[in-house]
Amino acid sequence: MAIIKTENLSKVYNPDTVPVHALNDVTISFDEGEFTTVRGPSGSGKTTLLNMIGGLDKPTEGAVTIDEVNISGLKDSKRINFRLHNIGFVFQHYNLIPVFTARENVSFIMLLQKRSKKEIEERADKLLDQVGLGKKKDSRPVQMSGGEQQRVAVARALASEPKFILADEPTANLDTASAMNLLDIMEKMNQEENVTFIFSTHDQRVIDRARRVITMVDGAIHKDERKEISP
Amino acid sequence: MKTLLNLSWRNIWRHPARSSVLMAAIIIGLWAGVVTVGIMNGMMQQRVDYLIESEVTHAQVHHPEFLAEGYSRLYIPEHEEIKEWLENDNRVEAFTLRTITDGMLQSPVKTSGVRIRGVEIESEIRTTTFHENIIEGEYLDADIPNAVIMGKKLADDHNMEVGNRVVLTFEDVNNELTSGSFNIVGIFQSASVTYDERNVFVRSEELIRQLADKPIYHEAAMMLRHEDLANEVVADLNSSFSGIEAQSWRELSPELSMIVELGGVMMIMITSIIMIALAFGILNTMLMAIFERMREIGMLISIGMSRMRVFLMIMLESIILTASGVAIGFLLAWASMNHFKDSGINFEMFAEGAAQLGWDHIIYPIITPNEYAVILSVVVIITLFASMYPAIKGIRIDPLEAAKDS
Repeated sequence: MAIIKTENLSKVYNPDTVPVHALNDVTISFDEGEFTTVRGPSGSGKTTLLNMIGGLDKPTEGAVTIDEVNISGLKDSKRINFRLHNIGFVFQHYNLIPVFTARENVSFIMLLQKRSKKEIEERADKLLDQVGLGKKKDSRPVQMSGGEQQRVAVARALASEPKFILADEPTANLDTASAMNLLDIMEKMNQEENVTFIFSTHDQRVIDRARRVITMVDGAIHKDERKEISP
Repeated sequence: MKTLLNLSWRNIWRHPARSSVLMAAIIIGLWAGVVTVGIMNGMMQQRVDYLIESEVTHAQVHHPEFLAEGYSRLYIPEHEEIKEWLENDNRVEAFTLRTITDGMLQSPVKTSGVRIRGVEIESEIRTTTFHENIIEGEYLDADIPNAVIMGKKLADDHNMEVGNRVVLTFEDVNNELTSGSFNIVGIFQSASVTYDERNVFVRSEELIRQLADKPIYHEAAMMLRHEDLANEVVADLNSSFSGIEAQSWRELSPELSMIVELGGVMMIMITSIIMIALAFGILNTMLMAIFERMREIGMLISIGMSRMRVFLMIMLESIILTASGVAIGFLLAWASMNHFKDSGINFEMFAEGAAQLGWDHIIYPIITPNEYAVILSVVVIITLFASMYPAIKGIRIDPLEAAKDS
């Protein structure tokens, strides 16, 4: 069942000066439980597509519907609130709060959701255990490696129990071992807990793991392949 | 709110040196502001008190034209009735009558124009503190006929000292020139060199003898139980007697009144200058903090932190930082004021210049609770305004900043 649908999605930057067509009439849908990669050369529109799906940017034309809600039509404050409860983000640069510990970083989003203290503590500890950072709960980002920070970022993205997670180049700054470890964790979450992941990446290691690979060229869907991964 | 407070507090200490410098600037600025206002107030008040207590007094009575014309014939009519009125009014603490004329002081060296003030010794001592200004010789109670005391500046100009004689020449009530030889019994030094150069004091009975054939007085000066009574007593005197003009110290000495008003203006100016500097300090620090954290703030908005919460977070950072600085600054300022209000601040290095201008070089700073409240309010308002712009910048950050490559 599709949880994300885009219809005739277009995005033009600088329409009044030097127009840049980042997305051209993109219509696509994503089902619950997918482990999908959006690939393509630089400037192909993969990050723009993810930003539209994540409600971080508004399309010039078309609409993004998530669980029957047209998020493109929501006011800024409503979109922020929608993101808080429905979408998880993993960024290329981890983007953790440097003054918070790993546990506090994971808890923060649940505090914004106004969950109970007990639930926040239990869920933060559980997620950090799941990403293999049970012993680094009280470490600050500066005390962790890039791979560890990205795992905290994954735990933070999962903390709000989103409908799906958008990960923009999540392995770009990681060495092979850390990247593989991170992918293992995300794949496990996907398979065991049916968490939907959508990646934007150049990284072949991620592409190889994906069960659906969407290739973009010049702001349009060039190829949309589904593959079976042997267990 | 607790989470925001926690985050703001930790953000402040992300750069301890920068936050400490800003806090130190707030502490020093506030301390300097309070102490400077205190010193200005102290200087003004000391000047006012000195002039009131040593000469001007709270209120005076004259012939309506005397102050403008200065002729000795313009004396107070019915001075006996006025004297009786002043003796019987319980708002009057002390009063004295003075005989005054303008004249010339001649010495072997030169001639100077002076105001000759004839005083009644006992009542003058009860009413004013001018006798405390004697630095050489004695006051007019010396057992020497035709005694005169003169200012140090005048004595130096004429190369005169205690024991020398000078000639005073002036017009009597019939406009006839008259003169007398006077013996210098004392030298005084008031807070004003100009005053010391232009005034000499003699006993009123000796001056009256040469001015008229009956007791005449040109000035009745009074100290009241409280300065606030001045306007009321002046109004009563003016309505009770004709042919006189009673005036409060504010009317008699507009420059004194101006000093008091100037004090208020100075306080506003000093506080404003310090606070504007403070505002720019906060603005600069907070803007730097925002620009450094564009990606982080973008991430917070991306993951679902409302712009209002971002606004509050930045405002809280400024408020906590300023509140801490203000608390310490006020404590230091209060301690300093408490210490100096009794011991005074000695500006000895400026003593000579201060004396030329009629100021004392030991200043006892004063600051009222009301002035503390004004300074505090200004700090709070300035802080809120200075924090507002960075906070608005913060909430305008695009969440896409979080996804930017660099």
